[in-house]
Amino acid sequence: MKEVYVAKTASRGIAVAGVLKYQEPDYTPQSGNVTDEQIETEKEKFVKAREAVKAVLADLASQNEIFAAHLEILDDFTLQDGICSKIEGEHKNVQAALHDTIEELAAIFAMMDDDYMRERAADIRDIGKRLMAELKGISLPDLGSLSREAIVVARDLYPSDTVKINPEFVKGIITEEGGVTSHVSIIAKSMNIPTLVGVGSLLEGLNEDAVICMDAERGMIIIDPDEATLADYQARKESYEKERLRLQSLRNTPAVTKDGKRISLCANVGNLEDIQKALEMNIDGIGLFRSEFLYMENTHFPTEEEQFQVYSKAAALCPKELTIRTLDIGGDKELSYFEFDKEENPFLGWRAIRISLDMKDMFKQQLRAILRASDFGHVRIMFPMIISIEELRAAREAVEECKAELKAEGKAYDEGIELGMMIETPASVLLADEFAREADFFSIGTNDLTQYLLAIDRGNKKLADKYDYFHPAVLRAISQVIEAGHREGIKVGMCGEMAGDYRAVKMLLEMGLDEFSMSAGSIDYVREQICS
Amino acid sequence: MVSEKVTVKNPSGLHARPASILAHAAGQCKSEVMIVYGERKLQAKSILNIMSAAIKSGSEIEIQCSGDTEAEDLKTLVELIESGLGE
Repeated sequence: MKEVYVAKTASRGIAVAGVLKYQEPDYTPQSGNVTDEQIETEKEKFVKAREAVKAVLADLASQNEIFAAHLEILDDFTLQDGICSKIEGEHKNVQAALHDTIEELAAIFAMMDDDYMRERAADIRDIGKRLMAELKGISLPDLGSLSREAIVVARDLYPSDTVKINPEFVKGIITEEGGVTSHVSIIAKSMNIPTLVGVGSLLEGLNEDAVICMDAERGMIIIDPDEATLADYQARKESYEKERLRLQSLRNTPAVTKDGKRISLCANVGNLEDIQKALEMNIDGIGLFRSEFLYMENTHFPTEEEQFQVYSKAAALCPKELTIRTLDIGGDKELSYFEFDKEENPFLGWRAIRISLDMKDMFKQQLRAILRASDFGHVRIMFPMIISIEELRAAREAVEECKAELKAEGKAYDEGIELGMMIETPASVLLADEFAREADFFSIGTNDLTQYLLAIDRGNKKLADKYDYFHPAVLRAISQVIEAGHREGIKVGMCGEMAGDYRAVKMLLEMGLDEFSMSAGSIDYVREQICS
Repeated sequence: MVSEKVTVKNPSGLHARPASILAHAAGQCKSEVMIVYGERKLQAKSILNIMSAAIKSGSEIEIQCSGDTEAEDLKTLVELIESGLGE
C-alpha cells in the first residue's frame, strides 16, 4: 500500500477502481532484415494489420468524419506499394518498411506550402502509429474504447483525449502534469469525475493491475490499499454520493440570499450537450458558451451557416439567457488548419479579440451567426480579453455593421441584444469605470485575470501553489470591478473557476457579485452556499 | 479515353474530406481515372495523391477516364465534383 498526497484538486469526489495506465507506447520498428522466403509473410502481416485498423476506424468514422479520411488513406495503394516495395526490394522487415514509408509520405505533406496540408502530416503519422501498434501487438491507449471502470493515470491529457471520456467507465483521473484550470480539469468537472492533477511522477513503477483509492477533495491517492482502507473508501464513496443526492434535491430552490437578493446562478458550457446537462440543474442561464469547440474540432474555419446551426439550436434549447463568447483561442488551444506564428509568450500574444479584430471577415461571420441565432432565444454577446476602449468600440462597431447587413438582407435578429465584455486583464480592471459606461455587462474571468495579475503561468507546476485567486490583489480587483460596474448600473458576473468554488461564494456575495457561472458539477454546492 | 474539365468549388479546396470522397468514388469506377492539375497528372483513386497536389478552391482540373465504362464514370465524377463533394 502506497500513499501519495497531492495539493491540487481539479474536481472533487471519491473513486475506487483499477487503474488504466494511459501512455504512449514505444513505436520503434524492429531491427533486422528478412530473407527471400519471408517476403510474402511480411507483406501478409501488413495486410492483416491494415484490416484490423480499418475495422477500428470504421467504427470511429461514424462519430467523426476525419476518420473517414483516414480510412481512405489506409486503402490508398500508394501506401501499400511503398511498404511492399521496401520489403521486396530492400528486404526490410514490415515494421521498418511501414515506418520508412510513413515518414516519406508525411515528409511530402510537411514540406507543402499550404498550412492545412502540412498538418495532414500528423494524420499520416497517426495512421502509422495505429498500424505499428497492430503489428507490434500492443494496444493503443484509447479512452473512448474503455469498457471497464477505471481510474485513468496519465502524464497529461490533451483536450482531444478528454473529449472521448465516458463517465460511465472513467471513474477518476490522475495526471502527472497540469494546473487546476487547464482544459482537462474543466472537462472533468463538468462530467463530475474526481480528478487530481500535477501529482508528479506516478506512472513509473505503477502496476498495470493496481487498484487505486482516491479522494480528490482531500488530495489523497492510495495505491493497492489494504482491506481496511478499501472498505473505508467504499464507505466514504457512498456517503459522498448520498450528500450529492441531497444537494440535488435542493435544486428547485431559486438562488436567493438570506438578505433577499436574487442571484443569477448559471453554467459554463462548451457544446450543446453541456447545455442539456446544465438545464437539469435548474440554472438561471448560460453565463458562458465557449465557442472554441466549433473552431477546434474542425478541419476549416467554421462558416457562418455552420455556426448559425449550433448557436440557434443552443438559443432554442435554453429558455433563459445565453451568453456567447466570441472566439477565444491562442495560448494552450491550437487549430489544425491555421498556423499561428511561434510566440515566446502565447498568453501575452495574438489571441482572442486581437485575432477577431485583425481577421474581420472571420469575426463578422461569427457575429452574423450569433445575431441570427438571437432571434431564437435570449442571447448576449461577450468579448474576451479586452484591454482598451478602442477594442470594445471596434467590436461593437463590427456588430452594428453586421446588424445593418442582416437588416438589408431581411434576416431577423434581436435589436436589443446586449454586448458585454470579459474582465480578465489588469488594464480592464484599472479602467473598469470607463468600460462600465460602454459595455452592457461585465463577466470576470478569474482564470486569466489571476494569471496576469500575479504574473504566474497557470500551467506552471513549480508555481502551482502560488497561483491563487484568493490572493488579496485578485480580491481587491474583483471588488473594484463590481463597484465600478454597479456605479454605472450594469450587471457584473463571474465565469472563471472561482465562481464555482463554494469557499468563495460568501465573500463574492458580500462584494455584490450578481451572477455566478460555473461548470455543471459545482452548481448544487454553490446554490447551497448562496441560499444559506 | 474521355475527359472533361471541371472547377473545384469547395471553399477550402480539395482537403482531406472532399479528397477522400473523390478518391472513394473514383475507386468505385471500373475505368482508370486520372486527374490533370496544371502540370501534374494524379491517380484519382489515391487520396494521398490528390491531397498532395493541394488543389485550391476555384481551380480547374481535368478528369480523364479510360475503360469500358468510361463515359458513365466520367459523368458520375464530374457531377460529384460540381455538387461540391459533400460540402
